[in-house]
Amino acid sequence: MSQDHLQQAGKALFRALSRHSDLILSAYLAGSVDETQSDPDTLDKLVRLGILWRPEADAELRLRRVVRALLEEGLQDVRNRQIDANLGSALTTLKTLTEHYKEARYRRAAVEADAYLADLREHVYGLTEGLRRHVRVLWERIHHEFGYVASIDAKIRENELAQTQVSELLNQLELIRFDQLGELAGQDRDLRRLLIVSLQRTFTEVAKELSLVQAKLIELIGRFREFQGRTRLLRGFLLHLEQHPDYRPRDLTRQSEVPQLFNQSSAIIAPAAINPHDSLLENELVQLVAALKTTPRDSLRDEQDRQGTPFQLQENETLSLQEDAIRQAVDAYFCQVIDQGERLSALEYLEQNTLDCNREVWLYRVIGGYEGLPDDERQFFELEHLTRDDPVFANQVIEDVALWLA
Amino acid sequence: MMTEKGRVLERLLSGQFICQISDESSWRQLKQPAFTDAINDMLAPLNRVLATAAEGNVFYTAYQSLGDPERKHLGQQFQDIAGQLRPLTEWLLLVQSTTGQDAPLSEGSPLRLTELQTVIEDTPALAEHLARLARYRLFNSTSPQPDQQLRQIFKRLTDMGYLIKPNPDRLVFLATGKIDYLFEVIRFIDESENLQLAERAESAHQQDSLL
Repeated sequence: MSQDHLQQAGKALFRALSRHSDLILSAYLAGSVDETQSDPDTLDKLVRLGILWRPEADAELRLRRVVRALLEEGLQDVRNRQIDANLGSALTTLKTLTEHYKEARYRRAAVEADAYLADLREHVYGLTEGLRRHVRVLWERIHHEFGYVASIDAKIRENELAQTQVSELLNQLELIRFDQLGELAGQDRDLRRLLIVSLQRTFTEVAKELSLVQAKLIELIGRFREFQGRTRLLRGFLLHLEQHPDYRPRDLTRQSEVPQLFNQSSAIIAPAAINPHDSLLENELVQLVAALKTTPRDSLRDEQDRQGTPFQLQENETLSLQEDAIRQAVDAYFCQVIDQGERLSALEYLEQNTLDCNREVWLYRVIGGYEGLPDDERQFFELEHLTRDDPVFANQVIEDVALWLA
Repeated sequence: MMTEKGRVLERLLSGQFICQISDESSWRQLKQPAFTDAINDMLAPLNRVLATAAEGNVFYTAYQSLGDPERKHLGQQFQDIAGQLRPLTEWLLLVQSTTGQDAPLSEGSPLRLTELQTVIEDTPALAEHLARLARYRLFNSTSPQPDQQLRQIFKRLTDMGYLIKPNPDRLVFLATGKIDYLFEVIRFIDESENLQLAERAESAHQQDSLL
């Protein structure tokens, strides 16, 4: 009956949370509820359900701490800096519950004992989970380097807060006395598992993590102080310069012992140039050339190009191609064949006309001239290659060509 | 093919600073004592020795023994650095107030030129500061445009080795270890002349907040 009732009430609470999630989230982000924007009935209902509360008569409605904690936890919000491990009272609760349980066992009231054990289990797990959560919250703040505050001074203060929280947690951990817990648990297996094994494991882990957190916090504060020191140095230097406009630092290199900071030797090598003839560098050079980009022409040139030039309509200039001498000689050779109508060897023609041309080049040009004729002109001629077999490579070597009219 | 030692020597002898940002592989090598010994052996005939700054994270070469010509060079160099301190300090503070960060620039901090430009163009006080800064002889910009002034300043700082531009196509710069060296120089001057710069800044800050 009572369980049913609890279940119904719980469901109603969750429904209210989900139905008014916008309002609750904006209250979470803004810190308080804007009552002018919300329906008074809704607000009343949320107050009745214990989601909102009014700290003082004329204060604004705010989220209850537990709802806030649920959201901070679920959203892993780094602004969550609440660390309150009240281990002392938690331990007292554990002791009390253990005594209840032991008494119930003694009285052989099994149902009662089970209920106390379940309660005890809940408290132990709650305690271990809480400790782990505190460590996680601390790490989150470290990972963000206290990014939720802007100035270095604020970061230093946040860091100091975290450090006191760590020391506080470590002090609290010392309150867990395992010899006492051992005595309390006696020979009961369930109790030993809960009070000693489970707590001890968490204790070791948390203590180890906390010492890491502490080291990291000290390192971070060192860095923040360094930043702060540097900023002050810059501002102080500028202030000094404003107050003493003619200030020049005293020449520290005039001392017999020059500080290493100002002993900086002169450069003795100039940048080297690449050697394009070094074949070892070929690969790199090719890559460099491949990576070259065409740079856009300078803007002036662009401007000129874009403006265009005046256009005048006039007759095209006639182009005359200077034909080279050999080409003319080839033409003359063909003409002579046509005129005389006889078979004529190209080399004979070369000798007759004492042309200044290499014999092989001449033969190439004659063959080229013949092949280059349009089909309908080429059919009037016959060209014969006078060849011999090469004795070594068995290639056919053209020694001369003869041309006649077909 | 040039060896790793050759590459490091070349950089050092051409007067450059080596830090993790400007040349990570050389920097890693220089962190090995055996490697630094070998480099020092090679530098010794040139009257040079490896020097470090910024808690051993920046390497450069120093003179091993100081004669008159070396002292003359160092004196000249000191005057150069002393002359650069004011514009560089102002630039560092300008960057800090533009990016809205309390942390000053240090080795590895990224700087996006276009982001800086947007903020500066939208804030007249910063634009004025930039214009004043750009006119220093160190930066020597004649342009009245903030973007040109910024580009010129960044170009000069890159030439001097305070910044590098890892990707030539993007206007993203990284501060090198030479920035840390610069802070060390200011701190050294502060300590040797007992200027009490930090205290001065602190008391000015407190006065401001009282007003």
